[in-house]
Amino acid sequence: MTGIAGTTPVVGGILPLTISHNTLVVACGVAAVGFAAGVVGCFGVLRRRALVGDAAAHATLVGVALAFLATGRRELSVLLAGGFISAMAALGVLVLLRRFSRTRDDAATAIVLSVAFGLGITIVSGITARGIPGGAGLEQFLLGHTAALTAADAWLLGTISAVAVLLLLLALKEATLIAFDPSFAAATGWPVTAIDYLLVTLVAVMVVVGLPAAGAVLVTALVVIPPVAARQWTDRVPTMLLLSGLFGVMSALFGVAVSAVVPRLATGPLVVLASAFIFLCSFVAAPDRGWWARHRRRSQTEFERPNPPGGDQSKPPEDVESFST
Amino acid sequence: MNLSFFTDGGGMHAWAIATAAMVAAGCGLVGTLLVVRRMSLLGDAISHAMLPGIVIAVLAGGRPGGLLVLLGAVAAALLTVWLTQVLRTEGGLAEDAGAGVAFTTLFALGVVMVTAVASRIDLDPACVLHGVLELVPFDTVPVLGFEVPRAFLTAAVVFVGLSLAVIITWKMQVFTAFDAEAARAAGVPVAAVTTGLLVATALATVAGFEAVGAILVVAMLVVPAATAELLTRRLHRITILAILLGVAAAGIGYLVAWWCNTSAAGMIAVVLGCEYLLAVFFAPDDGLVSRVFTRGWFHWRVACEDRLAACWRREEMAAQGNPLVVANRPNLGERLADRWLAITGRLNHGPRGWTLTRRGREQADMVVRSHRLWETWLGRHADLPLDHLHPPAEWIEHHLGADVRRRIEAEVGTRASDPHGRSIPPEP
Repeated sequence: MTGIAGTTPVVGGILPLTISHNTLVVACGVAAVGFAAGVVGCFGVLRRRALVGDAAAHATLVGVALAFLATGRRELSVLLAGGFISAMAALGVLVLLRRFSRTRDDAATAIVLSVAFGLGITIVSGITARGIPGGAGLEQFLLGHTAALTAADAWLLGTISAVAVLLLLLALKEATLIAFDPSFAAATGWPVTAIDYLLVTLVAVMVVVGLPAAGAVLVTALVVIPPVAARQWTDRVPTMLLLSGLFGVMSALFGVAVSAVVPRLATGPLVVLASAFIFLCSFVAAPDRGWWARHRRRSQTEFERPNPPGGDQSKPPEDVESFST
Repeated sequence: MNLSFFTDGGGMHAWAIATAAMVAAGCGLVGTLLVVRRMSLLGDAISHAMLPGIVIAVLAGGRPGGLLVLLGAVAAALLTVWLTQVLRTEGGLAEDAGAGVAFTTLFALGVVMVTAVASRIDLDPACVLHGVLELVPFDTVPVLGFEVPRAFLTAAVVFVGLSLAVIITWKMQVFTAFDAEAARAAGVPVAAVTTGLLVATALATVAGFEAVGAILVVAMLVVPAATAELLTRRLHRITILAILLGVAAAGIGYLVAWWCNTSAAGMIAVVLGCEYLLAVFFAPDDGLVSRVFTRGWFHWRVACEDRLAACWRREEMAAQGNPLVVANRPNLGERLADRWLAITGRLNHGPRGWTLTRRGREQADMVVRSHRLWETWLGRHADLPLDHLHPPAEWIEHHLGADVRRRIEAEVGTRASDPHGRSIPPEP
């Protein structure tokens, strides 16, 4: 990930900064997480499941706290494994509630999200109140705090992110198919449910891996905002994946950098604000889909209304394949 | 635990519970309308997104729980909803994606603002997330000579105001909730009703913000309403039940949290979750247990009635002089049903197998009567071949009551025999 060893003094801006090897590795690891979250999140957004990741994210706190209680260690891999298990359990409960109860889907999501978060808060507060050593650091998982990461942690995050992206690329064709035409996919014999579960699992993995960077409350932004921003620029899935990953990397690096300079600020909100800024730019300035382009097109069509429809070059392309509504 | 728990320290615990209960009541009231209108996730979004509004209001000199803060929260909530709408209409974003962008961004903005200016205002980043119900009783204002916690006062005022608003606009709320198109056509100002609901959500949420935090207030909004919805059907009953469930959870959650020495707000959410799970399993009509039990009981009744009818037909054929020689060996369910019918005095085990008792014959008469009446009626009205009449009758014989049988009989004639030429037993 990096060949730089030791410390590299960098003087720039107002403050002279010393970027250690550790900081650099952590930055790379978090950037990898940002990339993978952006890529994996695309299908969550395309499948209209943007908020399922939110339920999983809020549920991770339970698993993180229980894993800490069970092992008594604050090793990142153990905590994240716990978080993943509880996120999957929450998604399982969500599926069961949708299947077996009369509660509407949106209410079921909100219930799982808020009750799981309440349980997590209860356990974390219990740990803190009892003064179990190391327990105080668990609050960092609420809003994310990359300053506490070690190089080994960053390698772990980077590796899981790489595996997640690889898995997604392996299933890319199928995922694209069910994102745009699930009924056709089902009719031609693709295991739609299985692929759906794979995609949701990948989102859950990225939500868990994103915890150290963005925290349980905001990590869902990592898998929602970059894809939505990327969607503004393109109609093609590969381009969207790449752009989304790129946006994820940019916001993650911004968050890490600023929270390294101002340690008081948690990383998560900064990452989210950076990606929100990218989204704002995309929303306004993207060609064809962006607000500015639409605005211009609208005023142009008003002037050119007398023209025959075929001669109007500013007309938007007939994108039957377009998946926005 | 004795009563001194509630009165110690100037009624500290009593005030904390009362505050939580008041917040839960307001949230339950508004949450019901949100849930039935499929807007639960909007409640989630609003409760996150109002944070920057609150921080700006506090920076501008507002006190937590004061009017300025309420206004700030409402403004932020409306901004979120407006942003979601703009993203949808202008950017073509799906609603969930738009909300996901809008509320995470505003929440992140709020957290950064809180962290950046935390030293200047009395807002704690932890309090933002999960509230500090335990500290509520220490911040009091004098009301009529009593020291009342400010959070309680805010929650109470908000609850009373919301109750009045909901009661006054009740009919419009119900109409809009169940058929917005028809309501619009009938002249109900649907947009105003919806905006009012959003403002109400923001108010209920900000009232609970200090006590239970931004995220757990979602539990108070959605969970009691969803629980009540499983327990009853009428909207006003759901609303009242949601308020009661929320209040109960507030009390129980606070006490359990005190006993376990942990976060009261978190425990209240957990208790709400338990209430919901109990309802999922044990609700009288919609509960899983009740549904499984109802279905099982029905299958059992069908099995018993089928055995009685089979016995009845065997005896009929024997009486006509051509006894059934080949009988299928009964399977386990049928044998169990026979055993049960014998225990309840409807079948007797004689030298030639099972025979009907008088009670059994009365019941079997009605099953066979339903069956043959239906076959007759179907033979007259539907152009079905003779051998297609049996299956539908075999199914419906368990569902026809005496009234329907009489009406069918009135139509097909009292003296009729069924299409196979067999007689129909009379009504007793």
